[in-house]
Amino acid sequence: NKLGRGNRDKVQQLMTITGARPVIGILKERLMYSTTSPMLQHPYADMILADGISLLCNDIQVDPQDIVMLAISWHMKAATMCEFSKQEFVGGLQALGIDSLEKFRERIPFIRSELKDEHKFQEIYNFAFDWAKEKGQKSLALDTAIGMWQLLFAEKEWPLVEHWCQFLQARHNKAISRDTWSQLLEFARTVDPALTNYDAEGAWPYLIDEFVEYLLENGIQKGQLSDWTH
Amino acid sequence: MSAPKKRNFQIEAFKHRVVVDPKYAEKTWKILEHAIHEIYNHNASGLSFEELYRNAYNMVLHKYGEKLYAGLVMTMTSHLKEIAKSIEAAQGALFLEELNRKWTEHNKALQMIRDILMYMDRTFIPSAHKTPVHELGLNLWRDNIIHSSKIQTRLQDTLLELVQRERTGEVINRGLMRNIIKMLMDLCGSVYQENFEKPFLEVSADFYRRESQQFIECCDCGDYLKKAEKRLNEEIERVSQYMDVKSEGKITNVVEKELIESHMHRLVHMDNSGLVNMLVDDKYDDLGRMYSLFCRVPDGLPLIRDVMTSHIREIGKQLVTDPEKLKDPVDFVQRLLDEKDKHDKIISLAFNNDKTFQNALNSSFEYFINLNPRSPEFISLFVDDKLRKGLKGVSEEDVELVLDKVMMLFRYLQEKDVFEKYYKQHLAKRLLSGKTVSDDAERSLIVKLKTECGYQFTSKLEGMFTDMKTSQDTMQGFYAAMGADIADGPTLTVQVLTTGSWPTQSSSTCNLPPEILGVCEKFRTYYLGTHTGRRLSWQTNMGTADLKATFGKGQKHELNVSTYQMCILMLFNNADGLSYREIEQATEIPAADLKRCLQSLACVRGKNVLRKEPMSKDIAEDDAFFFNDNFQSKFYKVKIGTVVAQKESEPEKQETRQRVEEDRKPQIEAAIVRIMKARRVLDHNNIVAEVTKQLQSRFLPNPVVIKKRIESLIEREFLERDKVDRKLYRYLA
Repeated sequence: NKLGRGNRDKVQQLMTITGARPVIGILKERLMYSTTSPMLQHPYADMILADGISLLCNDIQVDPQDIVMLAISWHMKAATMCEFSKQEFVGGLQALGIDSLEKFRERIPFIRSELKDEHKFQEIYNFAFDWAKEKGQKSLALDTAIGMWQLLFAEKEWPLVEHWCQFLQARHNKAISRDTWSQLLEFARTVDPALTNYDAEGAWPYLIDEFVEYLLENGIQKGQLSDWTH
Repeated sequence: MSAPKKRNFQIEAFKHRVVVDPKYAEKTWKILEHAIHEIYNHNASGLSFEELYRNAYNMVLHKYGEKLYAGLVMTMTSHLKEIAKSIEAAQGALFLEELNRKWTEHNKALQMIRDILMYMDRTFIPSAHKTPVHELGLNLWRDNIIHSSKIQTRLQDTLLELVQRERTGEVINRGLMRNIIKMLMDLCGSVYQENFEKPFLEVSADFYRRESQQFIECCDCGDYLKKAEKRLNEEIERVSQYMDVKSEGKITNVVEKELIESHMHRLVHMDNSGLVNMLVDDKYDDLGRMYSLFCRVPDGLPLIRDVMTSHIREIGKQLVTDPEKLKDPVDFVQRLLDEKDKHDKIISLAFNNDKTFQNALNSSFEYFINLNPRSPEFISLFVDDKLRKGLKGVSEEDVELVLDKVMMLFRYLQEKDVFEKYYKQHLAKRLLSGKTVSDDAERSLIVKLKTECGYQFTSKLEGMFTDMKTSQDTMQGFYAAMGADIADGPTLTVQVLTTGSWPTQSSSTCNLPPEILGVCEKFRTYYLGTHTGRRLSWQTNMGTADLKATFGKGQKHELNVSTYQMCILMLFNNADGLSYREIEQATEIPAADLKRCLQSLACVRGKNVLRKEPMSKDIAEDDAFFFNDNFQSKFYKVKIGTVVAQKESEPEKQETRQRVEEDRKPQIEAAIVRIMKARRVLDHNNIVAEVTKQLQSRFLPNPVVIKKRIESLIEREFLERDKVDRKLYRYLA
């Protein structure tokens, strides 16, 4: 959780100062008041953090774990998960043509539908890597990656996602590189789950080669996807 | 003066009319006809050449050439028909003789007739485009005699039967054969080919097909080949004796096909006598024969080469995977060299030094030597053994021979970088223990390695030699400067090793005994005085010491021990007995090494200068050690040190292998970067191929490792994948 003890206190303070939910306050500020409101000078007025986001989710009637939040973050070009900067938030809303909570709610189905678009999904997927990883790190922590994959591949069905996550936990136990992340989507998209068209000379990242080996070892014959549960 | 009048002279044609009596031609012809009869009846002596010639001349002159010619044909033909009858009538063996005689006679007759009719031959015949007399005579002979139904088949059969008899060992009349066959050759229209050569080749093929089947059932390979060679030579000789030289190639083809080509595989693979047996038993003659016979047939030599190659690979594979043979590395390498020598000799003596065979031998060796990942280590140990003692007293040329052989094996290695690592380790031990047989031999080998692999390979090795030399000078300087001060202390010899050049050793703790600390410090001060800015650390795991020990009964011995052992033993100057823990505490030597040292000091017969309680083989942490007053040895000098290069233990081997793998990663990355910088954009498979090519003189990179290095470079943003074609990589400047 991004919100440390100190930050939480600050937000509390903010809430008591304004007497209103800071997110909605900021939202209203953007939409209805000038940008030189004194409240905006507060350092944390420039960021919407975890608590603020959950309040926002409440207002737009979306579960914070819902993948549509990822799509929304993508629209906002958010740098890191669980926080929006003022620029990101405002810019995103403008790009989406949203100027009221109601409009926001109405847009949700549209944003959700974007995930079904092949091309946009790929962009969102690749965006997710930088968004989900720690600031200043080059790679994505394994747990976070697994969480993201489960979320993303629930949306775009990939039968091997569970095996992939198990494989990683059993055999890899290290962070995921950007190349591996982006190549995995390619793999999911182009290689059939029974591995019939897997090309060993295909310049897949070595982790994916190892995954294929793991599948073959564990009884996924080429041409036949046995349903093994554990 | 008046010009003389021109007067035309005319020469009038001969006005005398030559009366050509029609009957004249007939009369003249009759004379000639008669003459031909006489000639054929061996009555030529009564004839007048001049007269006959003139008659023929006149006939031609008076335009009766046609009649003359026709008459000639008719007359000759009828005579030949007579002759044919007489030949047909001949019985048995006389048939050929009669034929031969008649032929000879015919030729004589023909010559005479031709002489008589020479004018016609030279004038009428060319202009009328008729066959000249001599040739006509041959053609008529051919048509009437050779192609006579009663003679043709009989002649063919007779000739072939004679050849068959000769093949079974009978002696035949070769002169007669020669004449008859020459007769066939002289006749126009492929008579020789059709009437003799073709059937001869067919019959020979059948004969040899049968004979080869017989041979192969009852002979072993060597005998079969001898027989085949004999038959081949016989046929060649036969042709030279009585056939057209052009038939030689054709009959040898038949023999080669039936005797050799058809049974090639069976011969080579014959149990107990085939190629492999010949190779194993060094049967140079048989092998040479096989080579020279097989090189006559297509795919003959490739067959030998392939069988030889798989055989060598097989024995090689057995050699490098047999744990028995791998126990002694020196012996193992010697066996490799012996196998190579053996096969070199075979190729040179029996296979005509054929380059393709040499190449096959080399590729086989390369194949199986690299099957065993310890080959580089073993080859280095072999060299170590030679340079330590094996080459003692050997002449310079012989030393070079051995080293060249080592280089040959080195070239086969795929993992040359592993060899380099071991070689360095072993060289270090040799240099430090002063145990090298010949400095020249050492340097000679380094030069050879440099020639083979370039300067980088050997620069560190050369650095080691330099350090040894420099250390000698340093010691001289030290004793010159400090001589007086340290005269009554222990004698110290120091080798100062430049860190980069020598194999990396982890420096471990060890407390030096006070007796030598003094002189060690003096050296350190002296050295750092002349070389400021350097750091010295004692490599206690690599030194040796000579100790003079007096035992309980007064027996004195000189003990040659390692530095660690010295530290342990010196403790016993102040205590008769010490526990393991006390020793450990005092010396701070790492446990594994400490146990090994104590074992060599207390548990080895003849070298047990210490006594251990309990008397077990292994060192336990509760053990106690005592100075062995009763120590005995028949030698004054007792060597207990353990600094010899040995086959590595399993864990050591793993460690070395790991270090090698670590060293390879940057080399692979450097190669990838070099390639991508030059090519800018390249696909995965090509990168792997190029990297392999670049590094092959040192080792064979694993494609999986290359892939991982590429990914690492992508991570570090040296490369990126192409957006469209994921197999393509791009260099990021």
